[in-house]
Amino acid sequence: MYCITDEQVDFILDDIRRNGIEMEDLQLNLLDHICCIIEQNLEDDGDFEGFYRKTVRQFYKKELREIEAETIQLLTFKNYYAMRKTMIVSGLVSVMAFVTGSLFKWMHWPGASVLLVLGIAIFSFLFLPLMLTLKIRESGSKRDKLVVTSATITGLLYCMACLFTIQHWPGANVLWFSTVIVSFFVMIPIYFFTGIRKPEAKVNTIITSTMLVAATGFLFLMLNTRPSYKMHEVKMYSWLQSEQLLQRMQGANTDTDKLAADINRICMQIKSLVLQNAIGMSAMPDDFEKKGIFMKESNTGPAFMDAKSKGTRLISELKEKIEQYNAQHSTAPIPVAHTALDAPDDMVGRYSNYTILNTITQLQLYVASAPHTLVATK
Amino acid sequence: MIYSTELIKGTLKTIVLKLLADNKKMYGYEITQRVKELTFDKIQISEGALYPTLHALESEGLLVTEVEYIGKRVRKYYSLSPSGKSKSKEKLSELADFIETMKLLLDLKVKTA
Repeated sequence: MYCITDEQVDFILDDIRRNGIEMEDLQLNLLDHICCIIEQNLEDDGDFEGFYRKTVRQFYKKELREIEAETIQLLTFKNYYAMRKTMIVSGLVSVMAFVTGSLFKWMHWPGASVLLVLGIAIFSFLFLPLMLTLKIRESGSKRDKLVVTSATITGLLYCMACLFTIQHWPGANVLWFSTVIVSFFVMIPIYFFTGIRKPEAKVNTIITSTMLVAATGFLFLMLNTRPSYKMHEVKMYSWLQSEQLLQRMQGANTDTDKLAADINRICMQIKSLVLQNAIGMSAMPDDFEKKGIFMKESNTGPAFMDAKSKGTRLISELKEKIEQYNAQHSTAPIPVAHTALDAPDDMVGRYSNYTILNTITQLQLYVASAPHTLVATK
Repeated sequence: MIYSTELIKGTLKTIVLKLLADNKKMYGYEITQRVKELTFDKIQISEGALYPTLHALESEGLLVTEVEYIGKRVRKYYSLSPSGKSKSKEKLSELADFIETMKLLLDLKVKTA
């Protein structure tokens, strides 16, 4: 029996490492194995290195690293079950978050955004990638892998477009168009031409492809029939003209009514909150055209989200002041019936930015044009 | 006759589990030698197949390990965990059943000793 020295043990370990075995467990196993073979089979005065080379050569086909690759492959296959479990759980969690988030959003309860963002994020960045990984492993051909990948990308884009739209984040339209383009020009052709080649999947492929084309077409139509830029533009200039009218009337006004001044102050605060959310500035600058500032019709943002928000509180304060004002000026009251100011506090957040802005500006116009003010000016 | 690796590959897990069920604890080299001995050299497990399988079985929780230091090197002994014990029975009966089915399928005349 050959006796292996410590130096020789080091030599073998070093050689195994150099040949690409990185897992320590595997290094130790192979080391012991090789030592056993040498001890059992090599003559006392045999050629250690030569015998070692010959022994190791029997371990693999092309290179020693194969053993590690095989081990890793077997180990990751074990992760398959964990991955599948995570996929199912993440799918359930995201759907639940999405459904409750939608309900909250619909009811205007706080926390809707958090739930929706969470739901869509888990779905897009955990569920979909896991599904892709598992499906790619299951699918045999390269074409099948391509189908799954393109479908996942389309799904991801769709989710992101939904999220950006719900959250009123900029870029939603670009995402919708990307979804339509990728779906129509990448996913559907790949899916169709892969499926049509398999006799057993032919009919299903035709039906599903038709439905996908229809769905993508509807999506495209909805994008086109959305309020156009022109419509936003008309709304913006309509409001801006009311603002200019107001400024003219206020310029000619020398009213010192304390209540009217209070109402105007609150109105300015409300408008600046709405503008802050829409264009990121508290007032529309005079040179807005030059700066390319454009305000779209959207919601009024977090300041008007519920009864406790800053904007909503300002509105209820405004309502009180108007009541006092109307009591004092019963001959020319400010009409609030059927306006946004007529609604309960928790409903205010449902109006669009232009509805609120127009209501407030008109209210200021009433104050500025009140008969007693005009008399005072005379 | 030495069997092809394809034939061995599908049964290697069962072979390892059965050997460990019969022999309390074994290390890698010992397993290859025992298989060789029991099959009169007809089945020779390659190192490239054995160690990946041992690691996979360990990470599945079917095997537990203990180490022994021999001079500068470490010897890793494998033995069955409780779940490994039940799994080895399961795998054995599966393979036995499979062999029966193969006999039927391929119409093999098995010589009974």
